[in-house]
Amino acid sequence: MKAVGARLPRYDGIGHVTGRTRYVDDVRIPGTLWVKALRSPHPHAAIATLDAAPAEAIRGVHAVVTAADVPKNVYGHLEALGVPADEPLLADGEARWKGQPIAAVAAESEALAQAAVDAIDVRFEERPALFDIRKAFDDDAPSIHQWGPVYPHYGPYDHRRVRKGDLDRALDQADAIVEGVYRPQAIEHCPLETQTSLAVPEPDGRLTIYSCTQAMYFSLGVVAAHLEWPLNRIKLVGGTVGGGFGGKVDTATETINALLAIKSQRPVKWRFTREEEMLCSSTRAPWHMEIADAVTSDGWILGRRMLTIHDAGAYARFSPYGVTKHAFHHTGAYTIPNLHFDGFVVFTNRVPTTAMRGFGVTSVSLAVETHMNRVADVLGLDPFAIRLRNANRVGDTTGNRVVMHDPSTVAVTLAAAERVGHELGAQERAMTNERRAGDLLPAHLVEQQAPEGEHVVVHGVSGNGGGA
Amino acid sequence: MQLTVNGTARQVASPPLASLLHVLREELAITSPKAGCQQGGCGACTVLVDGEPRRACLLPLAAIDGAEVTTVEGLGTPTHLAPVQAAFDRHYAAQCGFCTSGFVMASTALVEGGGGKTREEVIEALSGHICRCTGYAKIVAAVTAAARGDVDPAAVEVDEGPQQEATLIPGSPA
Repeated sequence: MKAVGARLPRYDGIGHVTGRTRYVDDVRIPGTLWVKALRSPHPHAAIATLDAAPAEAIRGVHAVVTAADVPKNVYGHLEALGVPADEPLLADGEARWKGQPIAAVAAESEALAQAAVDAIDVRFEERPALFDIRKAFDDDAPSIHQWGPVYPHYGPYDHRRVRKGDLDRALDQADAIVEGVYRPQAIEHCPLETQTSLAVPEPDGRLTIYSCTQAMYFSLGVVAAHLEWPLNRIKLVGGTVGGGFGGKVDTATETINALLAIKSQRPVKWRFTREEEMLCSSTRAPWHMEIADAVTSDGWILGRRMLTIHDAGAYARFSPYGVTKHAFHHTGAYTIPNLHFDGFVVFTNRVPTTAMRGFGVTSVSLAVETHMNRVADVLGLDPFAIRLRNANRVGDTTGNRVVMHDPSTVAVTLAAAERVGHELGAQERAMTNERRAGDLLPAHLVEQQAPEGEHVVVHGVSGNGGGA
Repeated sequence: MQLTVNGTARQVASPPLASLLHVLREELAITSPKAGCQQGGCGACTVLVDGEPRRACLLPLAAIDGAEVTTVEGLGTPTHLAPVQAAFDRHYAAQCGFCTSGFVMASTALVEGGGGKTREEVIEALSGHICRCTGYAKIVAAVTAAARGDVDPAAVEVDEGPQQEATLIPGSPA
């Protein structure tokens, strides 16, 4: 335990303060071309005409790529995990969000690349667009996706479900039903380093890609899949990220750069402008969440019905996983025995959404914790006491049948109360996370208790500024 | 046109309206100033021009012909850090590091001008700089420490890798 509690120098600290840390944009390869993309100016449109010949004819333009140049154009970020694909690398016939890349150019300078993009002959037929997830299920909602309004691949269902206990009985037994609607909005990750990569064709036919990705092997897999190349022909160089916050889990520039590098046989660099980063890189998802809790007048939560609708934007990317996280965390740090959860991934004509700090958990926690206060308000009870009462305890099982071996809800709640100077009664102050028993085990939680057993912790951590 | 960059006279061939950031990064391959926004909004490209902190992305070459330009490369080296650099390292004032060059240059101008001893002064001087990672508290602490002479650059440890095998988790094979 030499690291815990010790004040250790950062491995990258000296590099940062002397300007020697090398980010992708600092890599210098002679002969590097600049990349710019033609992006859809409409949130939803048919691409009626696309002719890149005028761009290709410009002196100093070395390659132009469209959907026709991509060996495997449609590939899902989670396809390797069995999540079916829906997103084209370059829009093919239809653009489903404002900013979607349609073609890309590699040219001698940034200005020339932009001039070539402007020279591409493209014409659109605008189509009705959908922006409000609450209207996605309406009969007259615009059709924007081959899957209809929702991502349909949750086993036999078109949404993520949790069913536990008997919610109807809990609602019948309740003294009150407390309802709430929570709608956190989209957030741009806004790293100081915009999305950047540099693809270099090597003399031996391989490709070296310098990338700002947060997810090296993931990006390697995505590039290889689109190219239909074996992994060992691509060398991905990364590890130094100028701020990620989840936004650099997406493979934003690497694959298009790879295509342009192969086609031009020149090194190519694409660095998003700040405007592109803000408008065209993925964001945290907006959510719509509805909670109805069956509660007793003394503060027990007997059951919860929850609806969560996740705005995926135009394509699924990681959104199915985000909804699964909601399914996992929709009871928060509390034990609620009767549950009915439905979570939908809904498509809109917005920029696709993705991971961001605490992916999925942050939004559901906002709803759950705000709702705990609302329950306390409605019942006229102390908001800390109601959390302590319903807290996860040793031996409790979650909605997903996970047995709690050492939950920290009680300790954290007591510590939070102390830090903000919130006074609690002696009974609350004496609480621990030990198994509920005797008078402290209400009838509705008896079946929640599981025998003790072994548990395994599996985790993955990547470093993008935390110093780890 | 000519610039003196980090003490060395340089003839530059970029067009007169090219930004100083373009000249430094693309012509002279001095990469510590970063292209964070290229709109003057983030401060990551800040360098000293005749001793004053300036946004390199907004400064056309023609406006500074003959000027003296200092970037982070012109401050200290890993084994001889300048006080502000040492303070940033000591106080963990950098996380991803992308904004750090700009913060270090603006802070250097502040401290060398005799300022930066109070939190208010530091916040005022660095208000045009964006850091997405640290939350600024550690940056302010670093600058005030440097301004007050509380950091000894010679005492900063340079991490030369693990000196001995460490067992982080008792019983683990590592």
